[in-house]
Amino acid sequence: MAGATDMKLGLGRKKTVWIAAAIVAANGFFPALWILFTSFKTESELLRHPITIVPHDPTLMNFVRVFVDQPILLFLGNSLVVAGLSTALCIFVSALAAYAIVRLRIPGRNVVLSVLLAVSMFPLISLMVPLFQTMRTLGWLNTYPALVFPYAVLSMPVCTLVMASFFQDIPGDLENAAMIDGCTRLGALWHVVVPLAAPGVFTAAILAFVNAWDEFLLALTLSSRVTSRTLPVGITLYQGEFAFPWPIISAALIVAIVPVCALIAIFQERVVSGLTAGGVKG
Amino acid sequence: MSEIVLKNVVKAYGTTPVIHGVDLHIASGEFCVFVGPSGCGKSTLLRMIAGLEGISDGEISIGGTLVNDLPPRERDIAMVFQDYALYPHKTVFENMAFGLRLRKRPSAEIESRVREAAQILQIDHLLERRPGQLSGGQRQRVAMGRAIVRNPKAFLFDEPLSNLDAQLRSEMRVEINKLHKRLRNTVVYVTHDQVEAMTLADKIVVLSAGRIVQVGTPDEIYNRPAAKFVAGFTGSPPMNFLPCSIDADGAAILLDGGIRLPVPQARRAVCSKLAGRRLDFGIRPEHILAEAVGSDVATVPAHVQLVEPLGSDTLGLLRIGTGEITGRFAPEAPLSAGATIQAGFAMNKFHLFAPDTGDAIRDPGW
Repeated sequence: MAGATDMKLGLGRKKTVWIAAAIVAANGFFPALWILFTSFKTESELLRHPITIVPHDPTLMNFVRVFVDQPILLFLGNSLVVAGLSTALCIFVSALAAYAIVRLRIPGRNVVLSVLLAVSMFPLISLMVPLFQTMRTLGWLNTYPALVFPYAVLSMPVCTLVMASFFQDIPGDLENAAMIDGCTRLGALWHVVVPLAAPGVFTAAILAFVNAWDEFLLALTLSSRVTSRTLPVGITLYQGEFAFPWPIISAALIVAIVPVCALIAIFQERVVSGLTAGGVKG
Repeated sequence: MSEIVLKNVVKAYGTTPVIHGVDLHIASGEFCVFVGPSGCGKSTLLRMIAGLEGISDGEISIGGTLVNDLPPRERDIAMVFQDYALYPHKTVFENMAFGLRLRKRPSAEIESRVREAAQILQIDHLLERRPGQLSGGQRQRVAMGRAIVRNPKAFLFDEPLSNLDAQLRSEMRVEINKLHKRLRNTVVYVTHDQVEAMTLADKIVVLSAGRIVQVGTPDEIYNRPAAKFVAGFTGSPPMNFLPCSIDADGAAILLDGGIRLPVPQARRAVCSKLAGRRLDFGIRPEHILAEAVGSDVATVPAHVQLVEPLGSDTLGLLRIGTGEITGRFAPEAPLSAGATIQAGFAMNKFHLFAPDTGDAIRDPGW
């Protein structure tokens, strides 16, 4: 009897989880699907009533316009360089910070973690003026470092916290064994901890990359020249003075989404285990 | 030469000392075992020798080199950990080769040394597997392989067999013994298992609360314990203790409850000096006999409270006077719970301890 009740409760719980998952998935996928369908529509179909969801007369013209009207490959290249370099820098520094927090006997360790969390909650707009002044003084406006360093720093708190949660699950004796085998402490981090915490490192890397890839406000402020613009800012150039060509902008957005999707698809397995393994002690 | 010397080694965490000035000399090629109860500091001491824990004071030297400030990688030691600490992302071969690769040894040398070590440990068929695909015993062999492949000055073992089941533990114990006899490296081995300590060690170091209580051969530790702590820690079941006093001429030990145990002639001179003092009388379970036969055996009426047959021998819980003791008897001994027997105490084997300090009181000839 009790078993049947438990089974009912279990099924009820499963249903709830499925419904919640469906809502989250719909919330995430609907706008993306809408943009995908829009990118294949003509402008006249977009304005037609009743509204169509799947394009009746699909066209690739919007994608051609994306590449013809603006130097999107340049924006794409800029975004790749900026997001790639900032991710590499962020992961390098965050890995060291996470390792120090987890392994070294630092007084006030919890305070450091709290400060990290607090820093990650700073609104970006409040940093804009000092960042602009700093970059102008350094002569970095319209250069890659103007975005690479702030993006790396902005993602560091969350990346440090993600990696710290993975590092602390790795037995300390593995590093001890590596140090006896001949590693320095940093060597043990590189040879043993990072490979074993790969899901956490990949998770952090993708978070940092996506943060940098999507960022608009800093990119708009610190890179005003067309040649140094990244994708989010570059896409705004498709907007005319009086027109708002949604199908072309949608096509540009699809072009912008593809590299991130490819990155996540490549590392999907590691990221999924990364998103779940760190939180639950097995 | 790979002797290990500790001089007044101290370890403190903040203001809390955990190792209180340890002095120890482990000769080159010696198999030295640290034993003691949990929290006595045996693993901490081992980790200090390894360089995984800093020392607060004193000196540690390995092979004549002062290593106080040297990191683990420069101490030329190898360590086998309780949980094996194999690199899960590397194959068995790479686990064993890792230390040699870091030392930039030529590939051919790495290949031959790893294969040679694998052959010694009979794991040469496992070289391409990862640790996750191995059994506990195989992992332990790989951990030992990783240690021996570098041919270090000293091997450090931190309770290496405690994760194995009883049968495998006994097999691996023999393997470690054979390995030491073959390689003759200096070994420091931490365990809380007395059988491992007694069977493997050339020298046993008994620790308690961060201090060395006794250093000696297994025979000395077992048969001539320097303190009540050592006597109570070694042996299974451990030594029995009963409060006693000694009569005026040292001819008898008087247990509470009016029991009189005649002291053999050879021990009377020492006992006579202790006349009138309250002491702790100690006797090992195997020195209690189910029947009082032979010379120097004192007869004591004992009430059998519990009988535990173990197959190879039988343990009996006996009430003697006001105290309880455990005896180890032959399986065919006439014991039955509730009966009263005339137990024999082998009086040429007893021990005396000062109740206040726990120190053994003995004559060198005992």
